[in-house]
Amino acid sequence: MNWTLAVPELVLVLCGLATLTIGVLGDKAKSHAGLATWLSIASLLFAGVLVLLSPSGIGLGGVFINDAFARFMKIVAIGGAILAMAVGFDSNRRAGLRHFEFPVLMVFSTAGMMVMASSANLMTLYIGLELQSFALYVLCAIDRDRLGSSEAGLKYFVLGSLASGLLLYGLSLVYGFSGSLDYAAIATALHAGAISPGLLVGMVFVVVGLVFKLSAVPFHMWTPDVYEGAPASVTAFLAGAPKVAAFALLIRVLLGPLGALAHQWQLLIEIVAVCSMVLGSLAAIAQTDIKRLMAYSSIGHMGYALMGIAAGNEAGTTATLVYLFTYVVMNAGAFACIVAMRRRGEAQTDIAALAGLGRRDPALAMGMAIFMFSMAGVPPLAGFFGKLLVFVAAVKSGLWVLAGVGIVTSVIGAFYYLRVVRVMYFDTPAEAFDARARSTSAVALVSGLATAGFVLIWAPVMAAAALAARSLLAGTVG
Amino acid sequence: MIVTAFFYIFAAILVASAGMVVAARNPVHAVLFLILAFFNAAGLFLIAGAEFLAMILVIVYVGAVAVLFLFVVMMLDIRFDQMREGLQRYAPIGAAVGLVLFAELVATLAGLKIAPVEAAAPAASGLTNSAELGLVIYTRYIFLFQACGIVLLVAMIGAIVLTLRERVSSRKQDIAVQHARHPADTLVMADPVAGSGMDGQILRAPGWTPALDKPAPARLETTS
Amino acid sequence: MIAPGIGIGHYLTLSAILLTLGIFGIFMNRRNIIVIMMSIELILLAANINLIAFSAVLHEISGQVFVLFVLTVAAAEAAIGLAILMTYFRNRGSIQVEDVKLMKG
Repeated sequence: MNWTLAVPELVLVLCGLATLTIGVLGDKAKSHAGLATWLSIASLLFAGVLVLLSPSGIGLGGVFINDAFARFMKIVAIGGAILAMAVGFDSNRRAGLRHFEFPVLMVFSTAGMMVMASSANLMTLYIGLELQSFALYVLCAIDRDRLGSSEAGLKYFVLGSLASGLLLYGLSLVYGFSGSLDYAAIATALHAGAISPGLLVGMVFVVVGLVFKLSAVPFHMWTPDVYEGAPASVTAFLAGAPKVAAFALLIRVLLGPLGALAHQWQLLIEIVAVCSMVLGSLAAIAQTDIKRLMAYSSIGHMGYALMGIAAGNEAGTTATLVYLFTYVVMNAGAFACIVAMRRRGEAQTDIAALAGLGRRDPALAMGMAIFMFSMAGVPPLAGFFGKLLVFVAAVKSGLWVLAGVGIVTSVIGAFYYLRVVRVMYFDTPAEAFDARARSTSAVALVSGLATAGFVLIWAPVMAAAALAARSLLAGTVG
Repeated sequence: MIVTAFFYIFAAILVASAGMVVAARNPVHAVLFLILAFFNAAGLFLIAGAEFLAMILVIVYVGAVAVLFLFVVMMLDIRFDQMREGLQRYAPIGAAVGLVLFAELVATLAGLKIAPVEAAAPAASGLTNSAELGLVIYTRYIFLFQACGIVLLVAMIGAIVLTLRERVSSRKQDIAVQHARHPADTLVMADPVAGSGMDGQILRAPGWTPALDKPAPARLETTS
Repeated sequence: MIAPGIGIGHYLTLSAILLTLGIFGIFMNRRNIIVIMMSIELILLAANINLIAFSAVLHEISGQVFVLFVLTVAAAEAAIGLAILMTYFRNRGSIQVEDVKLMKG
């Protein structure tokens, strides 16, 4: 019962429980949100260190697997969670969210993501996914006196539960027609040739459920409203880490147990990728609200990341992993800059509010410009490398149409990113923003350095991603 | 034979009540039909040999979840007569989509041979269904068992953080504080001289001066 | 054979009907959100019936273990969903589906 594999998750959950206890037993008159956030960030860092040190293998009754792939995804998810929590220091205080449960829920959500990345059994997949999702539903609705937040939480909950229900139905069919819940056993059964139409139906439902969690077309409709309504740090969290975990799940399931059905799901993934890229680039052009712009841009980014999965080989998986890394970093930085957009205490989410930022606040403007250029895919920033890798992987696998659509939508999409930069540098200055908190600046600085200086960290990230992809595919073959 | 008949009875009532859940105008009726559906599903579980889960379905789903739905329906005071015209507008498309989906599902699933996957019945182990479940849950799947516990904890935290409001106006007792009170803090025995009036004999707080007393308000002049 | 004359096909058809009814109930619902949440419970019930039937046919207990965990998770889901609905209702004053515009993309 090799339980040492799950030590990072156990430690993280225990730290979450400890933080919860401290918050519950503390003085009711004071808000312990700040202390709870620091404790949670510390527990996430500790869990991250433990992840790096954790052994590889399958354990805990065959439901839990730890390999380089799981470690990579967990580190990226933990990084995204830490950045989002740091953004929350200031934005939560200003929004009046003084709940100490906020960081505790984020910790549990991250624990759920780690379980998802390490799933070796359909049950682990489902339970990890639900753990992550429940905490997020609550976090979206946590600003309980504001209608937008309640509506965001409700919408996310209803559509998320529907997706989970369809996913579960698909899982039940996969179980039934392959005879087991374990990934390894399913893979063996399917490679031995027990593919039946019922299994394909099950696969379609599973992909549908997971595609929803990724906010890819055609199940993207919850994204703009939820991003707009949820509190800022929750949106920063939602746009980053859960996508990584959902991708970890999708890649594991598609390349592992359903590896024998590659011909069938490749077409599905290609269609979803194309639609996401097209919608992400076209729908964002008309947006005037920066949070909705970010929502549509993240739909587009998911399309590009799916391109790497559609390729279905090691190069494609490596490309997707690098893309996800850059995406999480860019996203956190962009949301930190958005949080800094405040005037007289009121959050400003109009793009027009950024007018003339180049003259008012050069540092913030440069940060925002770096993130916008990176998302557009301008070299030598991080986003360019991600896109390059995905396009190369797609071309090498013969998916010319996919790569072509990707390049065209990338160019179209660049339009709205560059429009934000134009507004910042070439429009007449609007009123100045409030002074921003140090935590927000810290997050923007860290993300900005990682994005702009990606050429420097390119090699280790690429090596880690390649190792992860190789370990995943090696573990699933045979 | 009887089992087969019961299957069809349970299945028919299940489908009918599921349909009524979706179609009922009164949300309270919808919840009650949901409860009926769960009961019949429990019956189907029994036929399939999952006795423990059938009972759990009744206890947890009907006894907790459906009752929770009923609580919320009552609390939210929903008006059930506000049906909009949208239903008529979308009904044909929705029905078409539903029929197509259903036809596809039935065609692929019901007409299959699953013989290769169907396993031979093992020798009867003499264990009850609960014992069989218990043998695996606490040993092989203990990690998932604990993870479900954390899921329930998150649900609890969520429900509390979203709906609990500290009532500022309610006066609560703090028993520990009350028990810790000393009689010397609350009671002082005084011995006033009989017939002398209370001037100068009223016990005051330490640090009191006569100037601290507010003067009496000016009397209103009464019209004579 | 789960029972005389009842095979896996019967259970699968039944759960397909429930799934269809559940999906129908979500997208066709124009009344209130509670009916949507009950339709989701129907979808979960369909999946549970599937799992139990397959577990009986494959003589594997793991399907029933999965159902046990799914019941737990579904109960937690109902609790969270109703808490969020309460918060929404306190802010909005109604739970009409039009007001929420679920499908607006």
